[in-house]
Amino acid sequence: MPVMRYREALNQALREEMERDQRVFIMGEDIGVFQGAFKVTQGLFQEFGEKRVRDTPISENTIVGVGVGAAMAGLRPIVELMTINFSLLAMDQIVNHAAAIHYMFGGQAKVPLVVRMPQGAGHQLGPTHSHSLEALYLHIPGLLVAAPSTPADAKGLLKAAIRDDNPVIFIEHEWLYGQRGEVPENGGPMRFGEAVVRREGADVTIVGISRMAVTAERAAEQLANEHEVEAEVIDPRTLRPLDLDTILASVRKTNRAVIVEEGWPHGGVGANLAALIQEQAFDHLDAPVARVTGADVPMPYSKPLEQAAFPHEEHVVHAALSLFRDL
Amino acid sequence: MATDVMMPRLSDSMEEGTVLKWLVEVGGEVRRGKPLVEIETDKANMTYEADTDGVLLEVLAQEGDTLPIGAVIARIGEPGEKPSGGGAAEPPREQTEAAPAPAAAPSEASEAERPARVSAPETPEPARAASANGGDGRVKASPLARRIARELGVDLAALRGSGPGGRIVKADVEAAAKGGATAVQAPPVEAAPAVRPQPPQPPQPPAAPPQPVPAGEVGAKGEVSTQELTRLQQTVSRRMAESKATAPDFQLYMDVDMSRAVELRARLKEVSDPAPSFNDMVVKACALALREFPRVNGAYRDGRFELYSRVNVGVAVAGQDALVVPTIFDADRKSLGQIAREARELIEKVRAGTVTPPELSGGTFTVSNLGMFGVDRFSAVINPPQAAILTVGSLKKRPVVDEGSGRIVARDTMTLALVCDHRILYGADGAEFLARVRALLEQPLSLAL
Repeated sequence: MPVMRYREALNQALREEMERDQRVFIMGEDIGVFQGAFKVTQGLFQEFGEKRVRDTPISENTIVGVGVGAAMAGLRPIVELMTINFSLLAMDQIVNHAAAIHYMFGGQAKVPLVVRMPQGAGHQLGPTHSHSLEALYLHIPGLLVAAPSTPADAKGLLKAAIRDDNPVIFIEHEWLYGQRGEVPENGGPMRFGEAVVRREGADVTIVGISRMAVTAERAAEQLANEHEVEAEVIDPRTLRPLDLDTILASVRKTNRAVIVEEGWPHGGVGANLAALIQEQAFDHLDAPVARVTGADVPMPYSKPLEQAAFPHEEHVVHAALSLFRDL
Repeated sequence: MATDVMMPRLSDSMEEGTVLKWLVEVGGEVRRGKPLVEIETDKANMTYEADTDGVLLEVLAQEGDTLPIGAVIARIGEPGEKPSGGGAAEPPREQTEAAPAPAAAPSEASEAERPARVSAPETPEPARAASANGGDGRVKASPLARRIARELGVDLAALRGSGPGGRIVKADVEAAAKGGATAVQAPPVEAAPAVRPQPPQPPQPPAAPPQPVPAGEVGAKGEVSTQELTRLQQTVSRRMAESKATAPDFQLYMDVDMSRAVELRARLKEVSDPAPSFNDMVVKACALALREFPRVNGAYRDGRFELYSRVNVGVAVAGQDALVVPTIFDADRKSLGQIAREARELIEKVRAGTVTPPELSGGTFTVSNLGMFGVDRFSAVINPPQAAILTVGSLKKRPVVDEGSGRIVARDTMTLALVCDHRILYGADGAEFLARVRALLEQPLSLAL
């Protein structure tokens, strides 16, 4: 299997889907001539031309709004926003329109729109560029939400997102863009709502969201090597729909759960998942559901403070061990 | 079809009861109207009778377990029948979310779950305090440990938890089920010595006697043994503290010349065996006076006076390792002889532990007597929400100044005290009432009217 970076896998998905379907086109800031702030759209402007790879002004609500209209009219637009923080400018179009239109018109209209954007801390970009906001979009019915953590998932899920008739919030990660991984040749679209067990284990279930799936896997190795705890690591890959069955089956086996996310603790993905686990697997829990989250602060600019404000392997190891004994 | 036996409501104020003793063994025959189980309520120990015929299939509440009213404590059915019932011992149904789809949001799925779970009755957990757990009486165990304990029939209260904060976890229950009730199987991580924190070990004296080490340190008071309160003791402690904390009380003392009462009793002894006691006379005198002073026969409650039409005099009796106050209802309308018989009967029931909650409730006033112990006079705590309590000291010959001759003579006297709740009874009210009681006792023939 060819090995490639996450950004290259996304680029392949875009190229293959644009070749496959003439209705697919891309809009965004600096995605054309400049080939994207994170180079995900590299080469596409040259290959498909300015009609299908369109540079736009800095006007997020408008770009998404144009995408909603184009989607309703029969095209399959992909909107790239430079970071997830900037998507907040487009909340009206995303929440009030993209998510609701199919329901508002009794199913007569559909919005096959993909809004792609990266999130995540670690590059000293301060609080206006570094947040992890998947929980905001998880909250909204009518949207599908993907947060792939590997190049293979990024490619397969982006292809699925483009072909889906629902509006999809496609959350990438700035740190993941440079990560390498095997990607199946001629791989087709993957299915939304299918979690993957990254590592099997009998002692504790660790669910990692977005980049934290990688952090969780590394923590699991440390738990096995240094603490004789075999953790099962699950990457849900999509948050809406969520493959709760796989998570519950694992929790019923291990009787313990740790949820790791980069976003804030209150109203987070982990808060929601912890509620679902205790509702549906209460009698299988041998310990409280633990959460490892980003710090409850706007992301600091200072490098040491920023590093301290999002989870690392040692935080996950500590949280997992705390389910077994007093630390 | 098995019938559930539920924790019965045996008094108005009862919220939970403790199973003291099963009077029928599992598998034994149960007859309607025959004693089935002894239950301790907040007021008394009661024998509860079966209300159906059959065989005792299953006992769900062990002796010592405290359960709320309505909790299933046993099942009665046909011989050979399996205890099915409400599925208390069944494992909870495993539920998973419907196939994920945009329209099937997790919250909707979990909404749909709820009724199914709520309708599945839970087996009440034993509520006794566990040795290794917090002082609130709740056993600290994980949901999984609770479920397994239920399935394996392990009493969580007897286990020591090895989890964080002393929580009982699955491994503890499984170890207990395998044998050795307090055996604690370490979870896998604890096997790693490098990261295992050593709990501080209390230093052992070199020649420690082979006794159970008491919890906590041995201080200047020596070893401490703690006793759990019975429900009755809990009730007494709660109500007495409540009384002192809320009722602004004051005491009035008055000496009573009991010469004529002594004379009367001597005469009564000739015609009645047993003769009414002096305490019975006090009860009767109080009852007559209460009829004349409605506020003394009342209560201050929630910013209002409550005045009662019946005069029900409670008589404080020591018994059941606590204080019990059986009631003589309508004492103002009963003859001295009738009061004497009822009082004797009630006192015997208290000492035998067979007094029933109805016999202990409904009092509007209380009489407490420590005269037989040689106490000359004493104060007492008002039995809330009553307005007052009357105490009776010892009756004996004391030197008094005779009003006629001015000489000191020996005379049978007794000191009464009236402890009043100042929110409803003021000094003059209490004094007038007490004077009326004294007048009745000094002219005891009026008690016979």
